[in-house]
Amino acid sequence: MAEPAYTVASDSETTGEEKSSPAFPEIAIGIDIGTSQCSVAIWNGSQVELLKNTRNQKLMRSYVTFKDEVPSGGVSNQLSHEHEMLTGAAIFNMKRLIGRVDTDPVVHASKSLPFLVQTLDIGVRPFIAALVNNVWRSTTPEEVLAIFLVELRVMAEVQLKRPIRNVVLSIPVSFSRFQLTRIERACAMAGLHVLRLMPEPTAVALLYAQQQQQMVHDTMGSGSEKIAVIFNMGAGYCDVAVTVTGGGVSQIKALAGSAIGGEDLLQNLMRHLLPNWEKLFSSRGINEINSMGLLRVATQDAIHKLSSQDSVQIDVDLGNGSRICKVVNRQEFEEVNHKVFEKCESLIIQCLNDAKVDADDLTDVIVVGGCSYIPKIRNLVKSICKRELYKGMNPLEAAVCGAALEGAVASGISDPFGSLDLLTIQATPLGIGIRANGNRFVPIIPRNTTMPARKELIFTTVNDNQTDVLIVVYEGDAEKAEENHLLGYFKIMGIPPAPKGVPEIKVCMDIDASNVLRVLAGVMLPGSQQPVVPIMEVRMPTVDDGHGWCAEALHRTYGATLDLVTVQQKI
Amino acid sequence: MYKTKKLWTPLSAVIRRALPTTCRLNTYTPVSQFRSLSSHLEASSRVSLSPPYFHDLYRNLKFSAKNFCSLSAAKVNSTTIRCWNCDAVSAGTTPFLYCDSCRSIQPVDVSVDYFQIFGLEKKYDIEVDGLEGKYKDWQKKLHPDLVHSKSEKEREYAAEQSARVIDAYRTLSKPLSRAIYILRLEGVDVDEEQTVSDPELLTEIMEIREAVEEATDSQALNQIQSQMKEKMEESSNSFANAYRSRKFDEAVTCIQRMTYYQRASEEILKKL
Repeated sequence: MAEPAYTVASDSETTGEEKSSPAFPEIAIGIDIGTSQCSVAIWNGSQVELLKNTRNQKLMRSYVTFKDEVPSGGVSNQLSHEHEMLTGAAIFNMKRLIGRVDTDPVVHASKSLPFLVQTLDIGVRPFIAALVNNVWRSTTPEEVLAIFLVELRVMAEVQLKRPIRNVVLSIPVSFSRFQLTRIERACAMAGLHVLRLMPEPTAVALLYAQQQQQMVHDTMGSGSEKIAVIFNMGAGYCDVAVTVTGGGVSQIKALAGSAIGGEDLLQNLMRHLLPNWEKLFSSRGINEINSMGLLRVATQDAIHKLSSQDSVQIDVDLGNGSRICKVVNRQEFEEVNHKVFEKCESLIIQCLNDAKVDADDLTDVIVVGGCSYIPKIRNLVKSICKRELYKGMNPLEAAVCGAALEGAVASGISDPFGSLDLLTIQATPLGIGIRANGNRFVPIIPRNTTMPARKELIFTTVNDNQTDVLIVVYEGDAEKAEENHLLGYFKIMGIPPAPKGVPEIKVCMDIDASNVLRVLAGVMLPGSQQPVVPIMEVRMPTVDDGHGWCAEALHRTYGATLDLVTVQQKI
Repeated sequence: MYKTKKLWTPLSAVIRRALPTTCRLNTYTPVSQFRSLSSHLEASSRVSLSPPYFHDLYRNLKFSAKNFCSLSAAKVNSTTIRCWNCDAVSAGTTPFLYCDSCRSIQPVDVSVDYFQIFGLEKKYDIEVDGLEGKYKDWQKKLHPDLVHSKSEKEREYAAEQSARVIDAYRTLSKPLSRAIYILRLEGVDVDEEQTVSDPELLTEIMEIREAVEEATDSQALNQIQSQMKEKMEESSNSFANAYRSRKFDEAVTCIQRMTYYQRASEEILKKL
């Protein structure tokens, strides 16, 4: 492969680790860090096995308490009582906050958590802190995840009696590449090397591929292609995938995802029970945190019960003189959350459209994740997909099992019975493009492009004698550039003077087999056989924390002097 | 230092990666009456047509600018192709992308065309249904995810072969890209930038454009959409005929029509 002329590595701690190929392949473990729960699994030589902690739990709560000198997480720590999580000392829901700036609506929705999440709305990291002996101890989502991952690693090392380094992590579909670097950072802090980051429903798709492959072996049935929809909704995120599976190969046709989940259902119901609760608790004293925690636990409990019964009695003393005593039925719960459910529906429809698959063509419909127990969720998926739901999977363990399978496959392990004769062919979950045509986002690699991928578009200048252009790279699907995730930016300088519209600026994006994104830009002028300025190749993302203000500031400083437009196409 | 070394790689090597298209040095003067519509249409359609160019240039540069010994060796002894790793002779029944005796991935041989990869006769009207299975069979042997523990060289082959099979699958599974590709194999390059000069098609484009703009509800749009589908099939059939009787000029005209119908159809989908 040719060496690029310029390589700008963004996050040195996450690069350059791919080189070593050990003589003895170490089987990578699969980790599912959920917003509320997490789990670890590994291929044990014949099948996938979930690891248990010392309290015999396969699913552990995702939180870290800063109560003592040494922070401890939900893997090792045992809460004396559920309420201990709600004293302000425990930090959780970090998967919702990681890699987000304080203008992000998801961060704003997290302000109701029983610890400190403060925003200045200027595009920097939110201030996140735990209350330890009446002092706010600040932390970051990366730190919390790292503490947690260390505990998971130690747990796995004790049980497997060997050091663990390589991991496959399942991640939400809607995570931007910037958020992925934050996850990699947390892993690096915990001494783990990320072999692969897999969108959660694609991990489930791999498990499905294995099950279907098994069935073909067992029954000698036909190995025809099977089309499945996978719907995954946990506490923090909702993801959908359409996969076409055959011969143990899962080709991801389309992905869709959003940061909605059980947490939103919970907050909406809390608001329904106590309409002005956010105001009541805004001062964040120890008493307010405590009341907020009590309400949260009671509401959570009620939602769980509503999955199996039609109505539930909520009776909770908030300790500040107010007491909530109410009966909530399932219909009420569905009404206060109708927007969330509508969003779920639209994600499934979008995903089917993107995959160009009709509901009638589906073989199976798989619903997993913590929210899969909610009757409304099951019903809405069933009615869109016109199918009964697939029964062959544990909804809470499917993603981690898929990640463990991928871990074994990617580590080069083979199985004599062909159980690891598997492959996932991934697609890009979000479009990647640049800002051009004013403030428009112009995708260069559209979403749902099979990876590895390489695409390019031609742009030109907007001003006469424009010598510099600014390439601002975004990821997302919104039309306006700033509504997408900023990945980075660089300038091409020294373009020879030419009337506007004449220089041909080629922007090429390349995602390689290890999911590394590179952006290349070159300039051609009429009559030249060679690029007129050296080609720039930049590895993305380049932005760091608190990047939210960057694009805005760039725009304010440079205005339209460095702008680009797409070259008009003739018909 | 690592970085400085990288900075001074020869430019030619960079161009091979960076600028797939040979420079088409025309200035872009938009045809004004179609400007507004085309500006909506450009992003998606342009991108979908770029991969063949990439391979073209890739091939040229590979032979001119850089000497890939293994590749040229494979070309010279086209009768007996041997595995670079175990020296086994290719069976010859399937294209030699992968050595069955030592399970190593072979370097890309551009003389193997997309139809051969899928074991198909080189013709336009193919059974698309069988492609997916064959595509997956290849990926199971070639995908870069499966060769993590192998040498750097073979991982590179995997990346290239796998990308080529993805491109082959994508190209053959859609009528328009398949049509462009099959003509290119005949040495006819279709310039998708070319201005439409056929007055009949121009009028039609205008009409469709107006209809799309005036369509107020999804029902009306759906109706135009099924029209587009019909027209697409029509042009696809006439392409098949033109190609069979080797009337390539006529075939190119069909491709122009198909290109337009596809764009219109994508545009309608966005509006829906």
